[in-house]
Amino acid sequence: MHALRKDRPLRRIVLASAATVSGMVLLLALKPQGAQSVAGATAPAPSVSSAPSAPSTGGTGASASPGTGARTVTGGEVQTRWGPVQVRVTVAGGKVTEVTAVEYPTGNPRDQQINSYALPRLRTEALAAQSADIDTVSGATYTSDGYKQSLQSALDSAGL
Amino acid sequence: MTTISEPRAATALPPAPRRSPAGAVLALLWAGAAAVLALWWFGTGSVAGTAGRLTGAGRIAGLLCGYSCAVLVALMARVPLLEERVGSDRVARWHARAGRYTVCLLLAHVVLVVAGYAAQFHASLVDEALSVVLDYPEMLKASLGTAVLLAVGIVSARAVRRRVSHEFWYYVHLGTYAAVFLTFWHQLALGADFVGNAAARAAWYALYLGVAALVLWFRVLVPVRLNLRHRLRVESVHREAPGVYSVVVRGRGLGRLGARPGQFFRWRFLAPGLRWTSSPYSLSAAPRQDRMRITVKALGGHSAAVALLRPGTRVWAEGPYGALTADRGEGRKALLLAGGVGITPLRALFETLPGDVTLVYRARAAEDLALGGELEALARWRGPEARVLYALDGPHGERPSLGTESLRRAVPDLAERDVYLCGPRSFAEDLYVSLRAAGVPDRRIHHESFEL
Repeated sequence: MHALRKDRPLRRIVLASAATVSGMVLLLALKPQGAQSVAGATAPAPSVSSAPSAPSTGGTGASASPGTGARTVTGGEVQTRWGPVQVRVTVAGGKVTEVTAVEYPTGNPRDQQINSYALPRLRTEALAAQSADIDTVSGATYTSDGYKQSLQSALDSAGL
Repeated sequence: MTTISEPRAATALPPAPRRSPAGAVLALLWAGAAAVLALWWFGTGSVAGTAGRLTGAGRIAGLLCGYSCAVLVALMARVPLLEERVGSDRVARWHARAGRYTVCLLLAHVVLVVAGYAAQFHASLVDEALSVVLDYPEMLKASLGTAVLLAVGIVSARAVRRRVSHEFWYYVHLGTYAAVFLTFWHQLALGADFVGNAAARAAWYALYLGVAALVLWFRVLVPVRLNLRHRLRVESVHREAPGVYSVVVRGRGLGRLGARPGQFFRWRFLAPGLRWTSSPYSLSAAPRQDRMRITVKALGGHSAAVALLRPGTRVWAEGPYGALTADRGEGRKALLLAGGVGITPLRALFETLPGDVTLVYRARAAEDLALGGELEALARWRGPEARVLYALDGPHGERPSLGTESLRRAVPDLAERDVYLCGPRSFAEDLYVSLRAAGVPDRRIHHESFEL
């Protein structure tokens, strides 16, 4: 457009705003919504570092209390974008009775904020589901992913 | 009249029309924006819930804002490709437009991210904003930078800009560099797309370092070298018309500047009251080996003080800038349309444009015609292919018509000419309408204006 053409600033502002807002909405809408998605393509693929030998710290039955037959199993340490995540489960009578995150990202205040609400929810979900098939907590995708993978490796080791 | 107006060979510049690289530059800038969106797209797994959507939108706005900050600075880095090929005035308008958009993106980024975090952590907006500013790494710096950027945005808004002095606006604007530096670090420390992605981090560093290098080179080192090399001083000041003054500047080896007729420099006169401002003034004659001349209308402040310059005053100049030059033309016929002091670059072009040149000079009265005697002399020297026409107010103050019909009557072969247009905005806009109606295509209407 020639610089001397009569300009309609209002129309341009409306057009630019509309284009920006609809572009953003479109981008967000095209992304998978919520739960079961895997971490982004450019994220370093989370790897279960010590999965098969998971009972490394806890060990099968390491802290078994003889009366109840409860034992703890520690899952593999999973590298996520924000840092390693590792989960320990307590199993009694073939049921998961407790899930504890032994390692999770704490590098910056945002991590701490995320963990303070995401970890309790993941724990509740895991106890309810009795499996690693749980929902991702919104806003804590990477931590949730790592949590699920570490949980799965712990459950595998526990033979559940 | 001044002594340096002796004409020079008019055939010195063969017409070699060059396409403006504006389209390519814009395409490159948009491609960069698309790449930034792609960075978000491939770095984002899923978007969960209201909090996820708010934070996601905030991140997109933030990435685009970080990119456009770099672009804004690059546009003003005085890169010759932009200044001399696209045109300084056009680039300045891009900068102003993109600047307004960037301020909106910045506000959107701040509001959306804080709202998204607040929704995620079930905190109030105020608490979350405080926590983001105070607890997150690099965020104190970034908040300070944001405040500066918003201040720059406010000072540059048209309504405010009119009420503040040029100097105030300019020095607030310089704060942009500090602000961009301060906000850079939080992008890398907290930007989810950079934390786990070394390639993205490297690209971001390359973008910002590249822009910093452009600024350092073209805004600092090139001007320093120019002024050390050419040692410019005021030689003389002449009154051309009521309130219009010419300043002749002497220096060494000015041919090496490569300044072409129609271009301008940014001038800073090292005299009391003028030292802190640099103003763009066009060359009003083709540059000589040892002298250049500008013609300035005393509109107040800086331009009024120019009339009082003493010979020998040192001058700091940056340039040459501007794309209103002979190589924009496509044919061998030109029409120059000057309004008031807009005559200055056209006077230089009238001297040097090859081929058939008609100059139409609009002024209120005959005594307001700055450089009129020179133009007559040039026309006589160039012979029948050069003409000067005047459009003056009638005896009762009635304005001459510059409509399509009167233009056609004065210049019958109007549609075959390259038109160079310089003058106040309203003058240029009216003429543009007339020219289009007369069948002159956009690409042959060459214009320069510094009103944003």
